[in-house]
Amino acid sequence: MTSYQISINGSIRSVEAEEDTPMLWILRDELKLKGTKFGCGIGQCGACTIHLNGRAIRSCQIPVSAIGNQKVTTIEGLSSGKLHPVQEAWVDENVPQCGYCQSGQIMTAAALLSQNPRPSVNQIDQAMSGNICRCGTYPRIKKAIATAITKGGSR
Amino acid sequence: MSQLTTNRRNFLKISGIAGGGLLVGFNLYGNTLNSSPTLNETEINAYILIHSDGSVTIKAKNPDIGQGVNTSLPMIVAEELDIPWEQVKVEQAVLDRRFGAQFTGGSTGVKTNFDNLRKAGAAVREVLVKAAAQMWSIDPSDCRTENGKVISSKGQVHYGQLAEAASQLEPSETPALKDPDTYNIIGTSRQDVDLEKMVTGQPLYGLDQEVEGMVYATVLKPEVFGSKLSGFDAAAAHELEGIIDVFKIPAMDSPVDRVDGVAIVADKLWTCFKAKKLIKADWEKPKDYINSNNKLKSDFQKGLKAPGEVLRHDGDVDSEFAKNENQIEATYDVPFVSHSQMEPMNFIADVRGDKAILTGPTQTPGSAARYASGITGIPIENIEVHFTRIGGGFGRRLSNDYANEAVFISHKLKRPVKLVWDRENDFLQDYYRPSGCYHLKAAMDDKRVTAMDIKICTTSRYLYRGATPAHGTEAFPDQQPAGMVPNFRIAYTPLLTNIPVGALRTPGVNATTFAYQCFLDELAEKAGMDPIDFQLEMIGQEEREMPYNDHGGPTYNTRRLRGVIDLVRDKSNWGRTNTAQGFAAQMVFGTYVACIVDAVQVKGKVKIDKVNIAVDCGRVINPIGADAQVQGGVTDAISAALYESLELRNGSPVAQNFDKYEKLRMKDSPDVDVHFVKSQEAPQGLGEPSYPILFPALVNAVYKATGKRVRELPLKKHNLV
Repeated sequence: MTSYQISINGSIRSVEAEEDTPMLWILRDELKLKGTKFGCGIGQCGACTIHLNGRAIRSCQIPVSAIGNQKVTTIEGLSSGKLHPVQEAWVDENVPQCGYCQSGQIMTAAALLSQNPRPSVNQIDQAMSGNICRCGTYPRIKKAIATAITKGGSR
Repeated sequence: MSQLTTNRRNFLKISGIAGGGLLVGFNLYGNTLNSSPTLNETEINAYILIHSDGSVTIKAKNPDIGQGVNTSLPMIVAEELDIPWEQVKVEQAVLDRRFGAQFTGGSTGVKTNFDNLRKAGAAVREVLVKAAAQMWSIDPSDCRTENGKVISSKGQVHYGQLAEAASQLEPSETPALKDPDTYNIIGTSRQDVDLEKMVTGQPLYGLDQEVEGMVYATVLKPEVFGSKLSGFDAAAAHELEGIIDVFKIPAMDSPVDRVDGVAIVADKLWTCFKAKKLIKADWEKPKDYINSNNKLKSDFQKGLKAPGEVLRHDGDVDSEFAKNENQIEATYDVPFVSHSQMEPMNFIADVRGDKAILTGPTQTPGSAARYASGITGIPIENIEVHFTRIGGGFGRRLSNDYANEAVFISHKLKRPVKLVWDRENDFLQDYYRPSGCYHLKAAMDDKRVTAMDIKICTTSRYLYRGATPAHGTEAFPDQQPAGMVPNFRIAYTPLLTNIPVGALRTPGVNATTFAYQCFLDELAEKAGMDPIDFQLEMIGQEEREMPYNDHGGPTYNTRRLRGVIDLVRDKSNWGRTNTAQGFAAQMVFGTYVACIVDAVQVKGKVKIDKVNIAVDCGRVINPIGADAQVQGGVTDAISAALYESLELRNGSPVAQNFDKYEKLRMKDSPDVDVHFVKSQEAPQGLGEPSYPILFPALVNAVYKATGKRVRELPLKKHNLV
């Protein structure tokens, strides 16, 4: 077991864990931040997506020992107070059904738009295709991203 | 706390709440209460609470798996109660038999609760009116309600102010219901009550729950389905820091209840997952296990050669074939398909000697409680079930095998346990959609089908769980085109294998629809007719009630079926596009669907350009939710049709995660336009009907695009995607 100080959603949090523990389980089980979800454990479904220095990564694939000084943002820290434009768009378009994949979808979309505020349809498809939605909300996710873009979807 | 006024056999119980509110409890089993009846705010069957400030809490009584019942069912109550939807707060109910059935399956949520929820809302509105009338010394008929207020010539008073007085009154068993033309809530688009919570990552799911003092567990299961555990070596696993125990979980009598495995318990879930990889287990494979897909195919062929059990025979099929040489036949194959629900299986069991508290995602909380009682010996009245929002069900969470595992572990260790499966275990322990083989033969008299002979062999889920009859929904005798062909026969042979099977979204029908509606397309071609005209001919111009002996029946109406066909034909510009279009239509479980898929061929591969689907489900409660259900069913089916099957190597699944078990991604997901028929008929279900119809519509479009008749799913097998 090793002690780590990690920047999570703007605050430094202390954890004690085995160094190979994926950030997914640090967030969920040690820090009780349940918004980041477990879907496959092998980086194939995107449910565990977080931001590392603003870039979307799969938290099941990065061990706590690899974080260092990088800033971690989870769905809980995507916005403070009011909703992030991407979350607002998700509400406007009534995107979720079961909702389980949606934290990951939103985090991927938010990272995309912060790097590329006006992506093409192709770029959106490519960026989002790492996130599986089993309920079939893809048509509404596409609409929500389009809505977020027109409203200026990054912050 | 406040006393009830009398003991009464009433489907609702009303009581006051401290602070001056009104609480309504369901009592659908007609139980009389004991001698000192009290209901308080924490009464677990409290269904509706009207607070003294006028706000209203309605409980969500069925598990929500994404089908939207947390929103649609309270909408029905709120409508009859005549309160503004904005004043409603929805809270999750727990399991209580007084609520009546609390399960999710068969597309039944709205359909079966529509009447009793309207009655509940209306009965409460009536006692509020009575209370106001008494206060004003006027007749209740001189009062009306609007927006949570009772209004009369004497003034207006909001429900919160009346709640305490109303709580002393007796609700009617037969309240007057609203005229549907005056609905303000039912039929209007309402945001899901959990929408903001879902987009902000709130801990809504079973996997997100924790209980004090809990430890974690996971399970190791065999690579070959149905193997028995003969022994294991956990020495290396025990070396890990935080490991608590490793032991055998024994199978229960039926494989649908629990199978043999090894439980790994630790203080952290990550430790459980690591430890699992270090365990060496020995398994005894079942006799005659299916080692390859080819073996399965040859078993199906044998099954189809058997006469089978004749489930329906209209006219005389054999005579007709003897005298009519104009025949056509085809064989269709469907694979095992995984449920792949995004939230992995998990459950928390806290077994404490004389009581147990269960927490987690289950479509059948009542059944989870019954099983837990059987496993632990604890009387069922002492078992609490807190069921959560579910990250996808699709029929997988009708089985409580994972809950039974958690209960077993907690009971053995005498401490609370949170069980979580890894994704790989989900593929080793799914109850797959049964695989099957469908042989169809028809005789044609120019453009008319004069005989149809259908032989079906599937790995029936009824046979697997030892239920009868073995055919169940695998070969439903009233499914179209039954009743539309003068000589018609269905015969069924079940195949028992070691591969676990269960209910997956429209069980049985999700496979037969593919075979039947693809075959009709082939018949239309043989008749030289447009496929839609061909089906309309078969259905007939005259309005008829076709027998349908299943839920959604007892009949279906051909005018409504023609209605969705005409609607989708119109909306899809049938015959006038530069895409290849495929069509299919039927009624299932009370809902009529007609689907047209537009496909194009790009570099030898098929791409779906768009899907149009027309739906008649009777009255729509929440248009946003209804639209989502239909889009979701179609999109789910596209994934299965394009990619999904269980491939076996030496009896084990080749795909044990999403790297090899391909799911539809956003880049391949087309637009799905949903067109509802506006209807005042009783509401029917939407969870399932849009799923089966996509398969033949897509495959028929693929034929138009490529000239290839696909008779075995998925399309990936034929290099078409």
